[in-house]
Amino acid sequence: MSTAVEVTGLVKEFGGLRAVDGVSLSVPAGERRVLIGPNGAGKTTLFHCVTGTLAPTAGRVTLFGRDVTALPEHRRTALGMGRTFQISNVIAGLTCAENVVLAALGTDRRKWLLHRPVAALDDVRRAAHASLELVGLGPRAADAVRALSYGERRQLELALALTARPRVLFLDEPCAGLSPSERARISRMIDDLPRDLTLLMIEHDMDVALGLADRVTVLHRGRVILEGAPGEVQANPEVREVYFGHV
Amino acid sequence: MTPGRLAAAAVVLVAAVLLPQVAGPFWMGLVTQMIVFGLLALSVDLLLGHAGLFSICHGSFFAVAAYTTAILQVRHAVPTALAAPAGLVAGTLLGLVFGLAVRTRGVYFILITIAFGYVVWGMAHRWSSFTGGDNGVTNVPFPAVGGLRITSDTEYYYLALVVAGLVALGYRRLIRSPFGLALRGIKGSESRMRTLGYDSNRHLYAAFVLSAALASLAGVLYVYANRFVNPVAASFPVSVEAALMAIVGGTGTIVGPFIGSAIILGLRNWVSSFFELYAAVMGGVFIVAVLWVPEGLVGLAARLRGRAPHA
Repeated sequence: MSTAVEVTGLVKEFGGLRAVDGVSLSVPAGERRVLIGPNGAGKTTLFHCVTGTLAPTAGRVTLFGRDVTALPEHRRTALGMGRTFQISNVIAGLTCAENVVLAALGTDRRKWLLHRPVAALDDVRRAAHASLELVGLGPRAADAVRALSYGERRQLELALALTARPRVLFLDEPCAGLSPSERARISRMIDDLPRDLTLLMIEHDMDVALGLADRVTVLHRGRVILEGAPGEVQANPEVREVYFGHV
Repeated sequence: MTPGRLAAAAVVLVAAVLLPQVAGPFWMGLVTQMIVFGLLALSVDLLLGHAGLFSICHGSFFAVAAYTTAILQVRHAVPTALAAPAGLVAGTLLGLVFGLAVRTRGVYFILITIAFGYVVWGMAHRWSSFTGGDNGVTNVPFPAVGGLRITSDTEYYYLALVVAGLVALGYRRLIRSPFGLALRGIKGSESRMRTLGYDSNRHLYAAFVLSAALASLAGVLYVYANRFVNPVAASFPVSVEAALMAIVGGTGTIVGPFIGSAIILGLRNWVSSFFELYAAVMGGVFIVAVLWVPEGLVGLAARLRGRAPHA
């Protein structure tokens, strides 16, 4: 099986702080990989370096065999990357439909059209609507983002990442701050995603993480301390210590 | 368009066509200026109201276009059919250079555009042998293309009105296009737009150049209306006022910049007739607008009617 994401010796320093300290990991295409680790373990920073939001201090990142270490974010998206943010990053001031239309056009040359109205691009509108339906926001298409609840913003966040049909999806705590019922709803949506979509997900909730993951990578203080199947990770004493301290 | 808006547009159009029947040459000249500066404010608002960039150098494109057209037409007797497009091209070319400012954001963008503006103003002011210094270039004739020539302020008013109407229609198309929506996306969340696959700097650069082209068009219209151009056209206050016209009228709309232009030029004309420190009064108007009516008059009207503004 081919490799979707390969990270080699990745380091990210902020001044004197080594947030990511030599991480290597390899995710085969189609795998669902969950990253866990206590607060400050470097999970989000690692994500930012892999998706191109931050430039790593050292190391190498490849997507589908192509070295993307020096590639800007938008070029990685064009290669089939999609992502969500830990803190909802949806486009305020626009409607839900406009948000997903922009997502549909992001990897389409027609984003440069100057003279045709967006409303005339039927296939784009259909794709946008389908992705809103997928996350359960169909009825809210015409509503402004500022009218959405926190949970609905998380749903829209997911829709934005899915609209362009990525081949690899990075989800940074998609359930952060949600109520138990919303949490169940989002994790079901993620579980229902096509199996050929490679998934990398940061998740704090062990139940959600272990339920969705094919494999789990545990980060602690910027390093990978363990990688394995969910059962192995759960049973590992080192992981227990990192999460719960000395017992 | 809703029937109400269509009716309002029809009333404004009829009033604009009939205006010369009731207004004298002084008023026609003033209204023409309102249209010209409305176009300049509209060009600023493409960046400000849609892309979220506050540019303070649009007086540069306006002035470079005006000077180019004036110098060609007056000193080299180049006909309007070439001098006017040359002005448009010169201002747009300057936009291609000044567009480098989109590599910065926020206050740095504002500062670099101010610096760019001063470079052009300084050249207009000091390079006397070429620009005519403080006197500028005078005796610009009315435009004439082939056998068609403008012979009065009233005729020129109609020309400006037609140009503004065509620009408004084109601008409306532009802001409804994927490109226009992408600009508003970048204004809303640039980081999100980048992860969606947009090279935000390229989009902003393209918007900057389009905006400079529109400011240049306003500059060409200005020089034929004014019949002369001097360094004032390139000055800092012109660039700032263009932005404030958009803010007073309502950013992110098409009518807003024209309304703002009418209010500010009208007020300045009225106040300056009896009060020497009119600039201080204008300053007060701007402070009030920014503090209490930041959405502008169009936004205020929409708020009073209890709905969001539309483009």
